[in-house]
Amino acid sequence: MTRPGEAKLPHLFKPARFGGFTTPNSIKYGACCVSNYNTRDGFITPRELARMRVIAGTGCGLITNQGAYPDPLGEGKAYFRQIALFDDKFLPQFETIARYIHDAGAVAVQQILHAGRYGGIDIGYCVQPSEVPQTLPHFRPPREMTRDHIQDCIRQHADAARRAVKAGFDATEVTSFMGYLLASFNSRFTNQRSDEYGGSIENRGRFMRELIDAIKQATPENPLAIRLNGAELMDRWGGNTEDECFELMQQAVDSGVDMISVTVGWQEAPESSIGRDIAPGHWNHLAARAKRMFPDTPVAFGNRLPDPVMANDCIARGEFDYWEVCRPLLADPELVHKAAEDRLPEVRRCIGSLNCLSRLFRDLPYTCTMNPALGHEVEPEYQIRPAAVKKRIMVIGAGPAGMEFALTATRRGHAVTVFEKSEAIGGSLRAYAARDLARPEDLASVVAHYEVMAKKLGVEVRLDTEANAKLMRSLLHQFDVCVVASGARIDMDVYRAIEGHERLVSAQDVASGRVVPGARVVVIGAGKIGLTLAESIRKGGAEVTVVEAEKRIAGDVMPSFKWRHNSWVEELGIRALTSSRVVRITAEGVIVLNGKGAELQVAADTVIAATPRKSNQELFQEFEWTIDELHGCGDALVPRGLDAAIHEGYRLGVRI
Amino acid sequence: MKATGWVLESRLPMSSVAERMFSELPAWQQMLDRNRELFCDMAPGSRIGLMRRNGADAGKRAAALFATEADSPAATLLTWECGEDGMRAGCASCRHPRELRLDLLLVADDEALEAISRHLGGDPLTVMKGLIRRGNVLFYVMRTKRELQDAGYEDFLDSLGLAFLGACR
Repeated sequence: MTRPGEAKLPHLFKPARFGGFTTPNSIKYGACCVSNYNTRDGFITPRELARMRVIAGTGCGLITNQGAYPDPLGEGKAYFRQIALFDDKFLPQFETIARYIHDAGAVAVQQILHAGRYGGIDIGYCVQPSEVPQTLPHFRPPREMTRDHIQDCIRQHADAARRAVKAGFDATEVTSFMGYLLASFNSRFTNQRSDEYGGSIENRGRFMRELIDAIKQATPENPLAIRLNGAELMDRWGGNTEDECFELMQQAVDSGVDMISVTVGWQEAPESSIGRDIAPGHWNHLAARAKRMFPDTPVAFGNRLPDPVMANDCIARGEFDYWEVCRPLLADPELVHKAAEDRLPEVRRCIGSLNCLSRLFRDLPYTCTMNPALGHEVEPEYQIRPAAVKKRIMVIGAGPAGMEFALTATRRGHAVTVFEKSEAIGGSLRAYAARDLARPEDLASVVAHYEVMAKKLGVEVRLDTEANAKLMRSLLHQFDVCVVASGARIDMDVYRAIEGHERLVSAQDVASGRVVPGARVVVIGAGKIGLTLAESIRKGGAEVTVVEAEKRIAGDVMPSFKWRHNSWVEELGIRALTSSRVVRITAEGVIVLNGKGAELQVAADTVIAATPRKSNQELFQEFEWTIDELHGCGDALVPRGLDAAIHEGYRLGVRI
Repeated sequence: MKATGWVLESRLPMSSVAERMFSELPAWQQMLDRNRELFCDMAPGSRIGLMRRNGADAGKRAAALFATEADSPAATLLTWECGEDGMRAGCASCRHPRELRLDLLLVADDEALEAISRHLGGDPLTVMKGLIRRGNVLFYVMRTKRELQDAGYEDFLDSLGLAFLGACR
């Protein structure tokens, strides 16, 4: 029976063909990220299996398991806990994953990932076609591969493919995404060989063609997908042009691959490819070009395409055949089911925060800002189960921490009432989201999700209701639990010693629109709040200066996004005074003392305090002797950010 | 595989810009002295190289530089080396950058060298940051992230707008 959403998105949910297989729909779960949930020597763990059971259940018709490195030395190993496929000893867990995928009715694909230029994490070097050092400090010094080494590498790939099929996978996939080994042979930048593997594009593609041929010979009955860049974004380094990228795709198709998965970008690319500063759909034209060139080869695509409606429309227009989706499913594993059931407003959207990648590159297991349970599927403590004792719970604050707690606790059977002093759900996030220079819609979607789900689950939210001692007295014994999720404020008290401090305005007041900044603005504090406001105000035409006490701006910004704020500050012409502090505020502006002890006058008609933040903890003391259980979560405990707010709200909700 | 047949800049007539760059050591030293706070955490022995890039092909340049044949012609680089009393500007020749134990290698085209030279008395690092962003200056990293952190490179890299942490963005 067709579900209501399937009728609305018919192209997404129509069966499709991949090699000799028919998939139940046109959705491919992409191996976008190595999880780092596994052992250091490459074995898959129960934690990973629990996660893969959830992924298998996402409803995707084609599911790709994360990349496994194929060589015993670990030259192909890029990530701290990347899984391995160079020996049969690893197979039992691969068999389990293949079974999970088949039990869910999907086709199972195993990615073989030799990271090349980014590999060798355990051995102190990496292998490449030529010794061209990386341009980021994260990686290992390169060694050039000999012809024998190349042949061994190809054999290892073929053996890994054979093992994957032996373990039950239906297909394999190799990838050049992000600048891995395959990409480094293909690219003009990294391949400077003068033998048959380098020089012309025909020669540079030889490694790829031999790889495809070897895998096809090893597993002739099983389709092979290849991930190839439609754009490397490495122009500045002399990387391949788009035309060259598509010429290489043609070589792959001529060599007999069964699917082209079009990707974008390298690790070292100086431009964004999948961050939230890129509009969804920005790269769709690359997939469309591939589909025009290869009408008879399935094309998969999903870079910065988190929206199933857009994906459906693209498939309808013939721009690609499979929507390749990963991060949106990390954020909400129910995404495909919700789409099928016409419940898209209930989806937790991937907001492109790249928290997942930030953690990966610190050798940590990846997590997701929007999905607190990701990576904890194996732990019963993270599962939403009926509460043993149903409680009446009051939540102070309808920001992300409070709302996440409220929804979670409600799902467990508790009766939850949220008290919010403002007129809307969302807390500080609502105001700052509107100021975001990247994509306000992404952050606003977090608030929208809470609004939708609060209504659906019947969570009572009392807006315009300030929680204080008087309210508490009126509610005595009506609740069993109080959760303080009252967030944090800018601590204006720290400025009392500064002459002219009464002229200061709070970042929250500016963000919410209660205060309208003038034409010359100084923002004290260049953390994420200060920068968000500064960029937004500057874009509105004002002259803006940020004053930061630390040596660098963006100290509390997610690692993967610091560079973005740095470049916006520069592009917008925002003056950044670091190692500096405001010592006096006058009607004309501020006096700033820099790290060298020199004073500087900065003209301003508006001076905004965007730091420091102070938790709104007063209610803990006020309510301590008025209720059975008193808890706190989010910024009300320690000011941090969205990730901590959502995760703490959830963890408290599953525990109470 | 050897990188043969490419001409390193030492075999070409040095451009007037490049000549000027290597002869302006006192100005480079003054610049380093003015920006000493960027280098104050750097470990003695830390070394950065700056050389002229010939042609558009950055990868070819890098591969030629790192080719290991013994008869590679020497290349001339401007060096910034951290000693006990701070950063010192100098020149060095090498057949292979590894001989110089560089931590970072900056490779600048003539347009970049001109621009840097014009601002040498002012704020060439800010100019260099823009040139890196536009691709006129390429850079190569010879040490791991941990080694660079331990050697105190964060402030300097940050001043050039270089992402310390790689990530698919």
